[in-house]
Amino acid sequence: MIRPAALQLNGVYKSFGLVDVLRNVEITVAAGERHAIIGPNGAGKSTLFHLITGRFPLSAGRIYLHGDDITGRSSYDIYRLGIARSFQVTSLFNRLSVFENLRVGAMRVLGAGHAWWRLLDRYRPLRERAEEMLEMLGLEERRNVPAGLLAYADQRALEIGLAIVGGANTILLDEPTAGMSRHETERAVALIRKVTEGRTLLVVEHDMGVVFDLADRISVLANGNVIASGPPSDVRGDPAVRTAYLGAVAETLT
Amino acid sequence: MSATQTMSTVPTSSLARTFLPWLLAALLVAVMPQIFGSGFAISLLCRMAIAAVFALSFNMLMGQGGMMDFGHAVYLGLGGFLAMHAMRAANAGWWIPTPALPLVGAFGGVVMAAVGGLVVARSTRTAFAMITMGLAEAIVALVLMLPRLFGGEEGINADRSGGPAVFGWDFGSPIEAYYVVSSWALLAALLMFLFTRTPLGRLSNAVRDNAERVGFLGYDPARVRYLIYIFSGLFAGLAGGLQAINDEIITAANIGSNAAGAVLLMTFIGGTGTFIGPVIGAVLVTLMQMALGTVTDAWQIYNGLIFVIMVLWAPGGISGIILAHAPLVRNGRGRLLLPSYLRTLPGFVLAIAGTVGLCEMAYRLQSIRGGGPRGGNILFLPADPETVAPWVVAAVMTTVGIWLLAVTAPPARGAWMHASGGTQA
Repeated sequence: MIRPAALQLNGVYKSFGLVDVLRNVEITVAAGERHAIIGPNGAGKSTLFHLITGRFPLSAGRIYLHGDDITGRSSYDIYRLGIARSFQVTSLFNRLSVFENLRVGAMRVLGAGHAWWRLLDRYRPLRERAEEMLEMLGLEERRNVPAGLLAYADQRALEIGLAIVGGANTILLDEPTAGMSRHETERAVALIRKVTEGRTLLVVEHDMGVVFDLADRISVLANGNVIASGPPSDVRGDPAVRTAYLGAVAETLT
Repeated sequence: MSATQTMSTVPTSSLARTFLPWLLAALLVAVMPQIFGSGFAISLLCRMAIAAVFALSFNMLMGQGGMMDFGHAVYLGLGGFLAMHAMRAANAGWWIPTPALPLVGAFGGVVMAAVGGLVVARSTRTAFAMITMGLAEAIVALVLMLPRLFGGEEGINADRSGGPAVFGWDFGSPIEAYYVVSSWALLAALLMFLFTRTPLGRLSNAVRDNAERVGFLGYDPARVRYLIYIFSGLFAGLAGGLQAINDEIITAANIGSNAAGAVLLMTFIGGTGTFIGPVIGAVLVTLMQMALGTVTDAWQIYNGLIFVIMVLWAPGGISGIILAHAPLVRNGRGRLLLPSYLRTLPGFVLAIAGTVGLCEMAYRLQSIRGGGPRGGNILFLPADPETVAPWVVAAVMTTVGIWLLAVTAPPARGAWMHASGGTQA
């Protein structure tokens, strides 16, 4: 039996009013694969993430998670089915401390639910998961700082942390290294590689160094269409990609 | 290794630190009527306790959950009405002891919030505020339309000493009522405090900060809001039960927008950002209401002015001001602020005195025109509002006061920035 793809997008359309943002997008992400989506600004990459995670409804098409149709489900249902995501524009709980952010991120998964009859501190696994994550993110010393007061790079790290702390099977990261310095980017990539070990990753990224370093497969989105999809070496050599997008970037890489 | 060590040591010490204030509060509640034993004082203390519970329940929504409920008095009022009916039943011979009435009120609050929450919890921010307001108006209208159930304008009353006695107490005397009310208030406050440390309590903060992200962490934000709304209704209803015991009457006025506005004012003046803030606000505003209420009929104007001033210049409320200064006082830098703070004082006093003078004269003038008595002092001065001179004096005082404040306040703010900036570095 063939194992169904972790994530499969079939004929996905999205229009806002008269504007078609995505047209007939077909993407298949195998289980355990690290899949990058690249494309020029306004190509619809973030919109694609919003469709997969139920933030926007699709105009047409279907999305399958491990063979199950998740089209039209709510974002919290989709999270419970195993898809977690980060945001391009940092989206944290600004008045909560770093530690509390991570605890909230893992609460649903580690059984705290909506409990009101038990103190949060009594959930030992929850605290341990948050501690572990703090260490992974290198934010131990910032643990009691409200997320809104963190330095930008730390906020981006926490943004990734919120997406992965619940241990979801399929992780969607929207420009995880945007605005990071060279050194911070290296650290973030190492972290992403570590936490997505054995999981499925779908990542939108502008930094070609990161993309070619991290991805097993790359899909190129331009004008709402997937114009190429394949291993990094194929995509790099694809003439359509060169003209549509990579251009000078690809020259420097080859 | 060090992480596990701190984990095992932190809970015990923080437990003591957490509950010490509560022990002190319990002690305070116990001895207050021994110090202030007059009937007026005990009635004032009861009102403070009830207002504190109500304001804390309101802040579960506003401060903790980011939900502005303009109709929160509905849950206090309906809880109060239900408790009142229970008290009537006790008067008619049912075995319902008076100390159990707050539970009846809480039950009423929960049921009503569970219904009302279905309507409001889907919305956020402005829409939420609008819907709570509309819902409250509808419920007030309904209450007035059902006089057999709610007594119309007069409300319904009963006798708290008409129920079964418990340990020889019939709860008729003010001091017995005080101990019932204050014990419940303390317990309710403790429970609301513990609530902030539960998963649902933390979720309410998360929904306040970023409802959308909560949705991407496996929670339906509308469901979180709904649950918090019910808990808030529970404690508002409990406050209603306490009010039924204290006042022995509940009327439609306890449900309406005035009561809802009052709790918003208290909570904001005390500060929404800390747990204790609403309690501070409830105590101060109740004190002002009853103390000023005996001196001047215009106290609501002052209440409103204080609110406006707080919103403009101290949006964190009184507890916010304390929070901003506590670290400076602790490390001794507070003294650096004193000179610049003192320099704002003359302007402050002048502006307040001038404004109060204007308000009181306007009020007096209006009362004289309506056939009220002439003469008497305003701010200890024999000012006649039918002459021009006192108006000019008050207007000049106000203007000069505000000008002085405008000159002295920025340096005071700068001194604070300088002092607190120094501690962070």
